[in-house]
Amino acid sequence: MPSEPITPRVTIAGIPVHAMLVPFPIACFTGAMITDVVYSRTAEIQWANFSAWLLAFGMLMGSLAALLGMIDFFRRGPKPTIGWVHMIGNLAILAIALVNNLVHARDGWTSVVPIGLTLSVITVLIMVVTGFLGHRLAYRHVSRDDIVRHGDGL
Amino acid sequence: MKRAAIVPPTLVFLGLVACSSSPPSPQGQEGANPNLPAAQQYLVPPMKVTTPVGFADGQTPTVPAGFTIAAFADHLRGPRNVYPLTNGDVLAVEAGGPPPEPMTRPKDVLFALAKGQAHSPVKAGNRVVLLRDTNGDGKADVQVVLIDKLHSPFGIVLVGDNLYVAETDRIMRYPFTVGQTSIAGPGVLVTLLPGGPIDHHWTKSLTASPDGSKLYVGIGSNSNIVERGIVAEQDRARIWEVDPMTGATRPYATGLRNPNGLTFEPTSGKLWAVINERDEIGQNLVPDYMTSVKDGGFYGWPWSWYGDHVDVRVKPERPDMVAKAIAPDFALGPHVAALGLAFNTSATFGPRYAGGAFVGEHGSWNRTVLTGYQVVFVPFSGGKPSGRIEPFVTGFLDAHDNTMGRPVGVAFDRTGALLIADDVGNAVWRVTPAVARASASPAVR
Repeated sequence: MPSEPITPRVTIAGIPVHAMLVPFPIACFTGAMITDVVYSRTAEIQWANFSAWLLAFGMLMGSLAALLGMIDFFRRGPKPTIGWVHMIGNLAILAIALVNNLVHARDGWTSVVPIGLTLSVITVLIMVVTGFLGHRLAYRHVSRDDIVRHGDGL
Repeated sequence: MKRAAIVPPTLVFLGLVACSSSPPSPQGQEGANPNLPAAQQYLVPPMKVTTPVGFADGQTPTVPAGFTIAAFADHLRGPRNVYPLTNGDVLAVEAGGPPPEPMTRPKDVLFALAKGQAHSPVKAGNRVVLLRDTNGDGKADVQVVLIDKLHSPFGIVLVGDNLYVAETDRIMRYPFTVGQTSIAGPGVLVTLLPGGPIDHHWTKSLTASPDGSKLYVGIGSNSNIVERGIVAEQDRARIWEVDPMTGATRPYATGLRNPNGLTFEPTSGKLWAVINERDEIGQNLVPDYMTSVKDGGFYGWPWSWYGDHVDVRVKPERPDMVAKAIAPDFALGPHVAALGLAFNTSATFGPRYAGGAFVGEHGSWNRTVLTGYQVVFVPFSGGKPSGRIEPFVTGFLDAHDNTMGRPVGVAFDRTGALLIADDVGNAVWRVTPAVARASASPAVR
């Protein structure tokens, strides 16, 4: 038997809430990067407004996901290295998101260009890594092992 | 402007460090040649929002030695402007802001909460109240509602037997003869003004040319610095000239972010105004100012401030407009929120104050150390500022920086006494020379 699985503690009908929440910050922060790029090309203020809402909502949902993810991670079971990297990377994303929200609360052009846009791009680059690791965690340490353990077969 | 500016992370870090703030006390951001520091940007803009507590009974603002101050009227509902009449009656314009602006960003939600806190808990009247001192004791003993149910009124001027009131979305005309205490009928629409649904800077200051043939109305911008988009600034940040008979309008001067206190300077015959300048580029930037307003003049907003200082927050850039921008005449200090202006035309205050300008400063919310919250004096000579700005009426803040009052509109009555509308103290204050006080306010009729 492979290593002991990470068993999600917070679930709804057996599905981890952490896994249900993580798509929100991924979609919001990716969306914010796109709307930032569009604003930087058009100077049309509504795109910067979109970015501000996406960043705020992404940070809210990302913070909830982080809370539940850490409950799952710390309360029981093994702590694989990729879990640590996933967690630290995503906490860095939330810290950047806080700064980025404040930058986007400025008025006009400098709410996005250059610092806001740069932070949005860095966020997405880190998310590519942490998101990949998150899926590795889910598939290797939760889903597959869970299925094997419960003997449901493949 | 089309460069996709993606800067390396090290520069981002430096950019954040550079956001630390400069010393908050004003460093010469006043006068004809103000010291203008470099603009900066913030992660968390400096802010200090005051709490309204009101004056205790018998408590008043403070005036210099040789003057006295007393409430001409109190228990008003948010008086923002005063307009003395030739018979001694005083019209007070009570106003609260229009309905809240649409929330387009998370920031709008937070800022609305913060700024709302600074306003008086007394519900504003949105009406014109006539105040009359029948026994000449310097305190109005009659308060009558002259015009009720207005849309956030502010500006008011009487030309002959026509009383013009500038609400936030229109100018109305009412038949009114000095001495009347009521107005019959609903009034006549003179012209619509840019109002809602955003209506950020909503106070519409109003004055008439000395011959009464034209009206001038101030229309503030719809944003701090075009963060609502340039379309929201249609017909905003300017002074209109209005034909009072036909309602025809034309832009008289533009690029004025939030012009108030429109007043003709009596010796030069020039139109003057006090202007609230932009926020969030420094505790000491941009100074609010008073200036003579030239016909056809452009004063920079939004593309530049104080002449040709480009505001990098505004895109697309307009170097052609920056080149046209006129630098204003006289800086009043950063974030003081100057809203009222009156010239002292009488000799009542003595030679030192004769001819000078008095400015009502509503007070700052966007810096860590408060500025404004006072009425200042600016000496004038030959129709121009001729000396240093100095506080005249102070004491609107208590020891904990709570607001007992906030001065707004100012005016001189027929005896040469200074009247001050105070929308947190909910009073009209009257400043008179100490010696002349007993006889300063002859009874009406």
